[in-house]
Amino acid sequence: MRLFAFAIALTAPLAASAQDRAAILTDVPSAHILPRFAELADATEALSDASQSDCAPQSEALRTAYGTAFDAWISASHLRFGPTEADDRAFAMAFWPDTKGFTPKALSQHIAAEDPAVNDTAAYAETSVAGRGFFALEQMLYDPKFADQGSAEYRCALIRAITADIDANADAMAEEWQSYAVKLKQPGGDSPYRTQDEAMQELFKALSTGLQFTAETRLGRPLGTFDRPRPNRAEARRSERALRHVELSLIALQDLAARLSADHPEIAQDLDVAFNRAIKSARSIDDPAFAGVADPAGRFRVEALQQAVNDIRTIATTELGPTLGISAGFNSLDGD
Amino acid sequence: MTNRRDFLTGLAAASLAPATGWASVGAPAFLAAGLFPDGAFRLAGLDEGGDILFSLPLPARGHAAAAHPRKAQAVAFARRPGTFALVIDCATGRELARLQAPEGRHFYGHGTFTADGTRFFATENDYEAGEGRVSLWDATSFERLGEVSSGGVGPHDMRLMPDGQSLAIANGGIETHPETGRTKLNLPVMQPNLTYLDLSGNLLERVELPGDLHKNSIRHLSVRSDGLVGFAMQWQGNQTKHPPLLGLHHRGAPPQLLSAPEDLQNTLQGYAGSIAFSSNGSEVAITCPRGNALHLFDVAGGSFTRAFELEDVCGLGAGPDGLVFTTGTGTFGAVDGLRARVLARPDCQWDNHLIPIRSHA
Repeated sequence: MRLFAFAIALTAPLAASAQDRAAILTDVPSAHILPRFAELADATEALSDASQSDCAPQSEALRTAYGTAFDAWISASHLRFGPTEADDRAFAMAFWPDTKGFTPKALSQHIAAEDPAVNDTAAYAETSVAGRGFFALEQMLYDPKFADQGSAEYRCALIRAITADIDANADAMAEEWQSYAVKLKQPGGDSPYRTQDEAMQELFKALSTGLQFTAETRLGRPLGTFDRPRPNRAEARRSERALRHVELSLIALQDLAARLSADHPEIAQDLDVAFNRAIKSARSIDDPAFAGVADPAGRFRVEALQQAVNDIRTIATTELGPTLGISAGFNSLDGD
Repeated sequence: MTNRRDFLTGLAAASLAPATGWASVGAPAFLAAGLFPDGAFRLAGLDEGGDILFSLPLPARGHAAAAHPRKAQAVAFARRPGTFALVIDCATGRELARLQAPEGRHFYGHGTFTADGTRFFATENDYEAGEGRVSLWDATSFERLGEVSSGGVGPHDMRLMPDGQSLAIANGGIETHPETGRTKLNLPVMQPNLTYLDLSGNLLERVELPGDLHKNSIRHLSVRSDGLVGFAMQWQGNQTKHPPLLGLHHRGAPPQLLSAPEDLQNTLQGYAGSIAFSSNGSEVAITCPRGNALHLFDVAGGSFTRAFELEDVCGLGAGPDGLVFTTGTGTFGAVDGLRARVLARPDCQWDNHLIPIRSHA
């Protein structure tokens, strides 16, 4: 037995040398994060107003406001930390995937019981997270199953409660992000980030998990396997937004990636090219709800898009990650 | 997929070879999977000082393994969500059999033999239903005999209790589906538990954490000789909170959760990778590869003892003088209460777990 009887040295320093991240840590909150949550709060207010004016599920104005607000959420939803994560807000905005059908169950329960929580925004916020947010609203607006459940009056009140709750949730996020942005910009002290590197790693994680979610879940769930494609698992398929969400998420993540790689022009260039390729691939597909994944030709195009997103992930992990001091630990990355 | 001919060949090999015990391969204390300098993933037998007694090739990155109680045989699992596990003769390196998860199931990477070595249990995912299963296999023919509910979602580690008559199962609570990789599908509604089953699959006891800890995934287990179960957790909730990552449970009693002081606890990124009791059972530790730390606790007092800073530490087991650990950077070391020492530093990257071949506890 070989015996080295010395105390183990402290953890080896991570790969990145100390760099000044102040410029990036100022730019990302100011130019990427805060504008997205401000836009979300505006769009959800318009959505809530639209449901007050006309709560009919077929209302053009209401459906347009739903689409605009949902766009704003998808463009911000990769920023899933800090105020977005607190109090399960991200889940309350978008409970998906819903593998066990909790959303229709929660809505049916509200309707069957004529749950009075719909009359009070604070009370509605205490109800099941699956009955809140954009996916609950989507089913009320687009799923024929809910077109005649219960009374028209109660359905209207439920739609208004969901939109008011979405708006309150967006307002809370927008407000808290104002102060949380300072914590990203100024690590140490009372910031949850002790160093600039830790703050950078949080932003990198938002990029990498955003890409992962789009590749594995937004695209992977409807693709299923070749033998068993799952078009009914596409995100927001009822309102035919599945492909749009892929494109919107890529556009948002491209902006974040460009800002995070600002100090490394070659990596920025590689990422930009890969994002453009993926976005172009998404725009070439004429299948808004991925209904065509069961057909070999349609499936091939969606698989090509998924591959293009995975190519971005590879560049982010192998090129950008190491510059940000992301430890490539054998076990720390395995996560099992 | 193993075809029938390969399967029969494997059986023939198994029956022709004399059943050799662990002494025949140098009496290893542990099994560990790792990535070796030649780029191959291998399953290794290690002695108490971390010296490699043998290493056998694996077709892909391994996760945990299970050691037969007497014969020099190991079941090595592929990394989650793998659909096969290899039964390896550690004396010859030969693959004796291959456990294949049936359609609609995948393994989670952990399993255990019965005390007499005649049966083998594995944790599995029924991924269309999103329900955990425990499968039962004949440990001679490695034929699948059946399956029962694991008592929860996302079962991960599983241990045979010291009575030899029951299983402790860490139902992590996280639903995944192989089509979406390791994407977690049910975080807002996840409800992990620690479940005890008898060997027929009947529920003996189920332990859940208080409601505000429902996002603390119970993943890995260690069992002391008196039946005290230690469980290591992975926090899936708000990362600004730093809940305990280690729990202790005696059958019939409420669980006890242990935590380091906040200024240390908040460096762990809510993630514990392995857990083990020390050889005399007085101490328990968790490894935290994301926080590059090993946290040691006193069992009787339920109190934090100290932290050791160790890069990418994950594998953990009872050693001759306390605990031994492995890291993703290749280190094999020992912790004896006051200090950590490197005992060996082979040029390989050790995977998540160190599997004891005989209990020190």
